[in-house]
Amino acid sequence: MAELKIDNVYKSFGEEHILKGINLDIVDGEFVILVGPSGCGKSTLLNCIAGLEDVTTGDVILGDNDITYAAPKDRNIAMVFQSYALYPNMNVRKNIAFGLEIRKMPKTEIAAEVDRVAKLLQIEPLLDRKPSQLSGGQRQRVAMGRALARRPKIYLFDEPLSNLDAKLRVEMRTEMKKLHQRLGTTIVYVTHDQIEAMTLADRIAVMKGGVVQQFGTPQEVYDNPANIFVAGFMGSPSMNFLRCEVVRSDNDYAVQLESQGKKFDLPVDPQQADLSAHLGKSVMLGIRPEQITHVMQHLVSEQYITQISVKIEVTEPTGADTLVLARINDQECECRVHPQEVGKVGDSMDMLFNMSKAVFFDEATEARL
Amino acid sequence: MAKSNNRGYAKINGRAVLYGVLIIIAAYYLLPLMLMIMTSFRSMDEIRMGQLIEWPKSFSLDAWSMAWSEVQIGAREDRGLRPYFLNSIQMVIPAVAISTILGALNGYVLSFWKFRGSELFFGALLIGCFLPFQAILLPQSQLLGSLGLAGTMTGLVLTHVVYGVSFTTLFFRNYYVNLPHELVKAAKLDGAGFWIIFFRIILPLSAPILVVTVIWQFTQIWNDFLFGVVFSDPSSQPVTVGLNNMVNSSTGEKQYNVDMAGAIIAALPTIVVYVVAGKYFVRGLTAGSVKG
Repeated sequence: MAELKIDNVYKSFGEEHILKGINLDIVDGEFVILVGPSGCGKSTLLNCIAGLEDVTTGDVILGDNDITYAAPKDRNIAMVFQSYALYPNMNVRKNIAFGLEIRKMPKTEIAAEVDRVAKLLQIEPLLDRKPSQLSGGQRQRVAMGRALARRPKIYLFDEPLSNLDAKLRVEMRTEMKKLHQRLGTTIVYVTHDQIEAMTLADRIAVMKGGVVQQFGTPQEVYDNPANIFVAGFMGSPSMNFLRCEVVRSDNDYAVQLESQGKKFDLPVDPQQADLSAHLGKSVMLGIRPEQITHVMQHLVSEQYITQISVKIEVTEPTGADTLVLARINDQECECRVHPQEVGKVGDSMDMLFNMSKAVFFDEATEARL
Repeated sequence: MAKSNNRGYAKINGRAVLYGVLIIIAAYYLLPLMLMIMTSFRSMDEIRMGQLIEWPKSFSLDAWSMAWSEVQIGAREDRGLRPYFLNSIQMVIPAVAISTILGALNGYVLSFWKFRGSELFFGALLIGCFLPFQAILLPQSQLLGSLGLAGTMTGLVLTHVVYGVSFTTLFFRNYYVNLPHELVKAAKLDGAGFWIIFFRIILPLSAPILVVTVIWQFTQIWNDFLFGVVFSDPSSQPVTVGLNNMVNSSTGEKQYNVDMAGAIIAALPTIVVYVVAGKYFVRGLTAGSVKG
């Protein structure tokens, strides 16, 4: 176990710049998730930490050691791959023992270590099987077992759950979290699935275009996104972005929304954003679907809640809630409504807009205001 | 009911036609071999009296022992094809082994340890596959001469290895690019180096392509005549050259039965290899197309 410091790392393949100055300080025992769309450089960064790719410039420091130019085998890092990469010619026991054998661990210790890991992951009955005789979930466990066996300083996971079916993925997700809580090891985990990132991480690094857009706890990233990209990427269904004008409202500011020909001023919580410089100009309002709900009487009188009548264009039941697509400021806007409160398509429906968690972005720079 | 019966018959008839055609084609290809085998069992008297294509009236293995160890070929002391056959074995085993091992290593490096210009290197290596034998005869004999290997078995083996490496590299490289690269990454993180990964991870997965390469190289080298005749002297001539010298000797009567027996002896090892490992050959050739 150790802390990992990634200091201003750049990585280029010829003229193609994949990583453009990555800085991450990962503390001991932390579960960090690198998340982003494909091609954002998250896997490259993981490979750079593992030593499978050389960084172009910058430093990778693990504990007290600068491992920037160390060979993968000297880094004391274990990695679980997306395809699991189990050695097909070896049975599960040998797969787990391989790394220990190479490191010249005595035979009795290897056997003890294999038993320990097998017990931990509940794969004891599988030890004598070949990888081809295992199911996807079992292979996944064995791959984790191989990583755990060496007791490395840090674990790297490269989309380890993406080859599993949806149900198993959720199960393994919970198990991985339990395992991390039990072992308390440092983990860097790559995924493109923002739900996986939210549920597993202590901290999330959202990446795009080779740059870390934001590095924070799941709640920080969700509630206080640094820019439009992060706001739109995290959360499902994703945040609504509505272009609207800033107007004066009492002593504060408000944004103006238009629905079904009527205009509404929605007061802005000054704690969320200072819009004084944008008076009369248009900004991007970011509001999550769950902050636009059907009318609940106990909420109507709250300070930053405004009731607006919208026209229902599409309804999408998800079971627990129904998503209602409405048109506001001539832009699509998704609202999250209790299934019993939903009106018919084409009807008008009153919605409560809760602005206490709304965020605002500059239209041009897409940065948070 | 009646309809489905008809359809059943149609199916059977279709099968019958298919198998009929296949049997005819198979027979067409087998006939020359049959003729060779039959002729090798006849005596010269019988051939002289009758026709060349005829069922044997008597059965003798004389022609086989003649071809193997009695017939005079050229001016050498050892009689028969036996010394040539032994030469071929001495040539084919090291040549196949070395070219296969080199091909496996080349393929391994070109797939998993790419270096700057490795694709170009592979492309250049592939040109070797398109070089006709005749094109390298002169430069190769100059090279062997300056190495002092002219006419030696070592020179012949070297020639076959160099010529074969292009093909073996191509085979192994194309097989290895279909293996998941994460295997090698995982092994690197497990602490394994170049050779351990090769011997403990990659080579155990190479059985299908090993079989293909060995069969390919074995047939190529065993059946080769041109290199055998150009780069050897009487002490190192392979069986193809021996057979040619035996059949083409212009003095005396043409002994068809001995010629046929000799030709079969010369071809026997390749036939055996195909029969034993042919199944794996087809499987290995198609192995890359199905994800393992």
